[in-house]
Amino acid sequence: MGLKLMIHMKNVTKVYENGAVALNNINVDIRKGEFVFLVGSSGAGKSTFIKMLFREVLPTSGILTVNGRDVIRMANKEVPYLRRSLGVIFQDYRLLPEKTVYENISFAMQVIEAPRRLMQRSVNSVLDIVGLRDKYKCFPHQLSGGEQQRVAIARAIVNNPSIVIADEPTGNLDPETSWGIMDIFQRINAAGTTIVMATHDKTIVDAMQRRVIAIEDGQIVRDEAQGGYGYES
Amino acid sequence: MKVRTIEYYIREVFISLRRNNWMSVASIGTVAVSLFIFGMFLMMVMNMNKLAENMESQVQINVYLLDKVDREQARDIEKDLKEIEGVESVGFVTKDEAMERFKDRLGDQKTLLDALDETNPLPDSFEVTVTNPDLVKTAAEKMEKLDGVECAKYGQDVMEHLFEITRLLRIFGFTLMLVLAFATLFIISNTIRLTVFARRKEIAIMKYVGATDWFIRWPFVMEGMVLGLFGSIIAAMVLRTAYTAMAEKVYDTLAFFPLIPEQPFLTYITIVVVISGMVVGAIGSAVSIKKFLKV
Ligand SMILES: Nc1ncnc2c1ncn2[C@@H]1O[C@H](COP(=O)(O)OP(=O)(O)OP(=O)(O)O)[C@@H](O)[C@H]1O
Ligand SMILES: [Mg+2]
Repeated sequence: MGLKLMIHMKNVTKVYENGAVALNNINVDIRKGEFVFLVGSSGAGKSTFIKMLFREVLPTSGILTVNGRDVIRMANKEVPYLRRSLGVIFQDYRLLPEKTVYENISFAMQVIEAPRRLMQRSVNSVLDIVGLRDKYKCFPHQLSGGEQQRVAIARAIVNNPSIVIADEPTGNLDPETSWGIMDIFQRINAAGTTIVMATHDKTIVDAMQRRVIAIEDGQIVRDEAQGGYGYES
Repeated sequence: MKVRTIEYYIREVFISLRRNNWMSVASIGTVAVSLFIFGMFLMMVMNMNKLAENMESQVQINVYLLDKVDREQARDIEKDLKEIEGVESVGFVTKDEAMERFKDRLGDQKTLLDALDETNPLPDSFEVTVTNPDLVKTAAEKMEKLDGVECAKYGQDVMEHLFEITRLLRIFGFTLMLVLAFATLFIISNTIRLTVFARRKEIAIMKYVGATDWFIRWPFVMEGMVLGLFGSIIAAMVLRTAYTAMAEKVYDTLAFFPLIPEQPFLTYITIVVVISGMVVGAIGSAVSIKKFLKV
């Protein structure tokens, strides 16, 4: 494949301060436009993998480049610019309760000092993508879990990231709602955005038939271009 | 910085001032009290310096004569005085003239002299000006040795006292200021800590979407500066009123005391107090957000 290398990990190891080896000698290349599932049992190291990508967690050794940037050697003051090229989504949505849907999304543009004239257009367009145009005035507590997660997705993509990173985005949602979320991810991915998603959801992984990276005890045990979840649940 | 970023900061600052209203009031009060005391010392020390300077520039020696000295002898003494090294001019002041001057200086309080019953305890004297302040001391010593001279006084003892008082004021004021500065820093940083704590979720999201540390930090630093600003404005207003009132009292009762005129002195004090307030506020908040901002 000649597509641009978005994520490159070579011999990446993460040992936490308390001595826990979360990832051990990981080698992965992810290219532009890929849709990657990260699977593995609890404690396998999925979240650690995800957190390294936006430098919440710093690898102990190895080489990690994200979007062409050397994550390990970059100066602290470059981290914000790395993160602007990424959209991060969590299981618990992390919306600001006292801000409306519109404000939660525009907040992400405001704090990186994006041009004001772009704001309304960008927010409306991501609200269309996640199908919440008519709820822009609502506060998070007035929304269902699935709707809140869609707001979080809208916030993650409003600055046009080249990679969307999601840690169990459907972990708190029922199957039907989860499919709504996956539908949005597929559309974002179809538009060229690379997606890396950690999940426990066997049904989704099996049905989507995308690249699957399985991690166990901090090591990659399987990496299939079009795979299934691979475990009996 | 972009205009909308500044708008954003200002809104954030006022939201949290309102949210922490009691802590904000306490911080503003602490800043006000600390800066008031700081300003008082500053004013006192500056006035003392001015006084000392004034006295230093007066290279005049008053030579008081013994009561028994008559006019004839006085003229001889005048001749002797003129021969002393460094003496520029010698003027005779009779005891009556001295009394008149004294009454003038007392102003409103001259009724105090009624107790004297028209007697005049002041001696005749010479006012000797000296060309060079360095010669004052030796010249005065020589004058005291002359026959018929009771004593020769110049600013020396007063100045020594003055320097001592100024020095003590400085040391005491400086120590007190250090203590107050720490107290102020402590309370401001605690107030800002409350704000930071209340917004830790926002801060986390800001970091995930790629806000720079300075973008995150500014509203808190500004909040600290606003607390400092409000406190210092209160302190400055009280100081100005107090100084004006005191100046009036001094002019009424101690007319000869060379108080620094209110303008531009009070403007200067206000600027110093306001800048100190804002600097302390900024430092206080910088201290408290430091550990919340680890990337
Ligand atoms: N901050 C930390 N300090 C120390 N050890 C940690 C820390 N975070 C994770 N670990 C350890 O690292 C290992 C991998 O954790 P990680 O959170 O990456 O697993 P996971 O695959 O995301 O699990 P789950 O599916 O339950 O979310 C675990 O053994 C965990 O205890
Ligand atoms: Mg996890």
